[in-house]
Amino acid sequence: MQLLRELSWYFKQQRWRYISAMLMLTAVAFLNLLPPWITGTLVDEALAGTLNSSRLLSLVGSIAVTGLCIYVLRYFWRLSLYSASYQLGALLRQQLHDRLIYQQPDYFRKHHTGDLMARATNDVMAVEMSAGEAVLALFDGLLTGIIVVGVLFLLVDWRLTLIALLPWPFMAYGFWRVNSQLHDAFVLAQGRFGQLNDQVQEHISGLRLIKAFGIEKRAEEDFSRDAIAASDANMAVAGAEAKYEPVIIITMGASFLLAVGGGAWLIHLEQFTVGELTRFTLYLGQLIWPMFAYGWLLNLLKRGTVSYQRIQEVLQAPSEIENCGEKPLKRDADIRWQIENFRYPDTEKNVLSDFSGELRPKQMLAIVGPTGSGKSTFLQLLLRFYESEGVNIQLGGFCLHDYSLEDLHQHFAVVPQEPFLFSTSIAENIRLGKADASDEEVKQAAKLAVLHEDIMTFPDAYNTEVGERGVTLSGGQKQRLSIARALLKDAPVLVLDDALSAVDVATEQKILQHLRAQRGDRAMIIVCHRLTAVEHADEIVVLRQGQALERGEHAQLMVQNGWYAEAYRYQQIEQAVAEGR
Amino acid sequence: MLTRDVIRRLLSYALDDKRLVLITVLLLMVATGAGVAGPYLIKIFIDDYLVPGNWSLLPIFSLAILYSLANVIAAWLGYQESLRLNRIAQAVVLRLRENIFSHLLRMPLKRFDHVPVGSLISRVTNDTEAVKDLFVGVLGVYLKNTIRIIGIFIMMAIMNWRLMLICLLFLPFVIAVMILYRRLSTPIFHHARELLAQINASLNESIQGVRVAQLFNKERDFAQRFHTLSSAHFLARKKTMQMDALLLRPMVDFLYLLTLAGLLYYFGLNHQNLGIEVGVLYAFLNYLGQFTEPLIEMTQRLNLFQQSTVSAGRVFQWLDQEAEIEQGNVKLKFQQGALEFNQVNFSYDQKKDVLKNISFAVPAGSFTGIVGHSGSGKSTIANLLMRFYQPGSGEIHLAENKFQDYPQQEIRSNFAMVQQESFLFRGSIADNIDMGRGLGEQRLRWAASMAGINEFIETLPEKYHSELAERGANLSAGQRQLISLARALAGKPALLILDEATANVDSASELKVQQAISKLHGEMTVIAIAHRLSTITHADQIVVMHQGEIVQRGQHQHLLAEEGLYQHLYQLQFHLSDLFEENSQPAESVEAPTNSLLK
Repeated sequence: MQLLRELSWYFKQQRWRYISAMLMLTAVAFLNLLPPWITGTLVDEALAGTLNSSRLLSLVGSIAVTGLCIYVLRYFWRLSLYSASYQLGALLRQQLHDRLIYQQPDYFRKHHTGDLMARATNDVMAVEMSAGEAVLALFDGLLTGIIVVGVLFLLVDWRLTLIALLPWPFMAYGFWRVNSQLHDAFVLAQGRFGQLNDQVQEHISGLRLIKAFGIEKRAEEDFSRDAIAASDANMAVAGAEAKYEPVIIITMGASFLLAVGGGAWLIHLEQFTVGELTRFTLYLGQLIWPMFAYGWLLNLLKRGTVSYQRIQEVLQAPSEIENCGEKPLKRDADIRWQIENFRYPDTEKNVLSDFSGELRPKQMLAIVGPTGSGKSTFLQLLLRFYESEGVNIQLGGFCLHDYSLEDLHQHFAVVPQEPFLFSTSIAENIRLGKADASDEEVKQAAKLAVLHEDIMTFPDAYNTEVGERGVTLSGGQKQRLSIARALLKDAPVLVLDDALSAVDVATEQKILQHLRAQRGDRAMIIVCHRLTAVEHADEIVVLRQGQALERGEHAQLMVQNGWYAEAYRYQQIEQAVAEGR
Repeated sequence: MLTRDVIRRLLSYALDDKRLVLITVLLLMVATGAGVAGPYLIKIFIDDYLVPGNWSLLPIFSLAILYSLANVIAAWLGYQESLRLNRIAQAVVLRLRENIFSHLLRMPLKRFDHVPVGSLISRVTNDTEAVKDLFVGVLGVYLKNTIRIIGIFIMMAIMNWRLMLICLLFLPFVIAVMILYRRLSTPIFHHARELLAQINASLNESIQGVRVAQLFNKERDFAQRFHTLSSAHFLARKKTMQMDALLLRPMVDFLYLLTLAGLLYYFGLNHQNLGIEVGVLYAFLNYLGQFTEPLIEMTQRLNLFQQSTVSAGRVFQWLDQEAEIEQGNVKLKFQQGALEFNQVNFSYDQKKDVLKNISFAVPAGSFTGIVGHSGSGKSTIANLLMRFYQPGSGEIHLAENKFQDYPQQEIRSNFAMVQQESFLFRGSIADNIDMGRGLGEQRLRWAASMAGINEFIETLPEKYHSELAERGANLSAGQRQLISLARALAGKPALLILDEATANVDSASELKVQQAISKLHGEMTVIAIAHRLSTITHADQIVVMHQGEIVQRGQHQHLLAEEGLYQHLYQLQFHLSDLFEENSQPAESVEAPTNSLLK
């Protein structure tokens, strides 16, 4: 019930749909009373012999007309009610998406995609059912129950009603019990099913080993154990489900017996007629739904409450980074940074410390060093994915937070470490850098990134879809596409975050050559592993454990004979090995 | 695969336990009989006792008892029948799962080269789960409801066949509605499902690509795209709902009321001249109310039917693929682990050769190291030796005989392999070493001491019976690998293959592997494919590979002395391998590094 209160904002927003649905449901509930009533009258008149053919026709005709009215009304209340609930589903999905697309990277470090997806699918579905099916169960279940019992009590015979309704609380209790058993069994079954999935995954990954040891039998036994457990859990679900029918049969049977027995006694006393008895039993049949509705409602709300909470958690998660800067950002702004120390939230270790420097327009800065030395972290700070007190980065003389995030992002063209392609066409993926770029510009960017020839081998060239419905690009192709995308974006600073790791040496050299020739007034920050890529940089910084241990131009660093020189020689041998020398 | 074939095949699975099926159908029939008897008993009461005013208590009382009994029987047997129906379905699913899983285990490995693991898992779990839905949700429901409807019509015919015919008129209309519903709703339904899949894919993409979206200031575009999809999905679902509202419950209920009207009309017209008793009408009204629900249920299940036959079809398709061909001359017995590769060529995709003219000999009890850069083809040699794949051309000899003439079992029980990724199952350490071979504790202990892990195991609270976490997550990579080694040694194989077994382990563990190899020298043929050269410096022969070819061979000292690939590989590892990993410990070398090589 708490959930319905929390959803009241939506009920208010959609009040016309809900009100019209409720009005129609009420009309249906009353119209439903007519056929049994007419049937009773018809039976009595037929038995008394007073029924002539025109009267018969009008009675029967009114049943048919009532049927038609009910049909029309049922169609329209469903339309109103379910449109409202489905729309809530769509709305919640959109809200979740919009919240997440603006959420900071740190949030995704803590929340996994699978979990977030579950909230947008299963949880949204559960809340949607609370706004649709649960409202129906609550309103219509209660209404039908009250109206039918009221009619039986007031208009048919109150004594008989009291007697015939004796077994009904048992049905409500039975439904409730079965419902909760079913819920528990279902949760268990889902868990077991997940386990089975894991088991299969484990064995498929270990297939070589299984074959190598010839232990297929053992693997089968392992699998069988989990498969049987899953099967047992499913049986428990089926067992709970199978109890619905007996509950109905027993209660209805007992109720009918009492009704017919009591009715017969009243007929014997001449206080009741056969037609009225028929009417009475037909009404009894209409009480099954309200009994069922009660247990169903509780279940729907139980699930909906948990789900709504999980959705709200996402929607109300705060942003760590405020976006309220308004200063205009100049194209030729220089970058200065002074990082005393930085560590990721909830961690102990400093990733960067005592690192400062500057980058003027048109310059090329290279940052190298071992994995985990803080290279990428520096870029993340520069893009304001993280903020911290010990970090002071200025752009054109002002702090990063003096600019809006949009302007800041516009200032950098970033090629991230792990290239990400969206499932649209190749051209659209490149065009992400500049939405209104002409085909020619797209092609030009692809050529600079040495991707054009690869693209021409795809079935639809630039219009080839990427991903499941199209081609799968190799790691190197993805990286080059990502570079083309960044080149198309005319930002003052080009950032390559280890963006050439999957590209072979010759292609890398070609791309770098293009970049040097074509980057115009753009500054460039390049983080990379392969040192031949940074030889031409204006400044090379070697980061080790978050500190700038060596810095200078290539020639200077070679003379210093430190990490840089050693790594440079290492990579030359590596190249020899790769070539089989 | 045709729907009809799928169903026929599934039924053959279900008929596996014929007795259970027979009992279930019998229960179903008796339960239906008891269920339809109730209204008939009330009819007797109304017509023979109530209307004539015949108040003899004993027969009335018996009728009441009979009525109660019929209800209890219907409820109880119905429940039992329902459980059994589920049991049949579960048994089918279980068997199907076990079949497809064993089949999977026996498929040649090359089948898996291009199939993503996710879709394989889906075959074993989701598709078979859909088969359960088919049995319980579709076939079961249809069987049950058909029998119930037939039972009802039989009772109606017994009481009054003319009235029965009026009710029978109901059926063709409902069937017409069912067909119409199926025809109209299927495309709409698929469209809605397709859109939902797109929505999920789009959201997933937005989450995965959130950084790129933000860096390119595309948040609004993405939101726009998502909203469009989501609105389209809303409209599609609204359509399916409208279709349901037009043709399912409201429609069937409407048809029910029309039938009711027809029934009453006929009764009102003819009850006097044809003598239709009021009890009969009462029973008919009752029966009529009983079969609308089953018909709605059957209509709703049509969609499910389609989905699950598709899934079942996929399962059968997979089951129909040939399993691994058992090869080899069954009589050939394994003698000793002397191997010879003679001009062996191999390609995974028939385009690019991974091995080119490979020839080398491995004497029994010797230690051979195979090294090379990634992509040199060295791991393919292990794959051929374990017979995961067959050589394209050329021959492998095992002690005088052709390798492929040995029965599979003979090879796999005399060869053992340790791979790069240690693979531990859930269970105890002893279980993981024994691997269901029943080797006895003595042997396990011996293998563990040979692998240098015995001491560690003894320090654990439950020693060999300590349970391992999922994939041995509570052990270090090195410990896991040593257990894998113990597992391989426990079978006392004649030939041990180490396939990059020391690539991811700490130096202490690597040293233990080296020690194990030297202790076994002379007794066991060892072929170590290694990225880490320290593992193989003591080998009797080292084969150096590059792009599928052997470029150098000889012993460590000899190779080290000559300018070439081996020397360069050695330099890379022994001097600078810690350059690019922050906080990693320098690999402890067996021999003191000679810095002069670098300068």
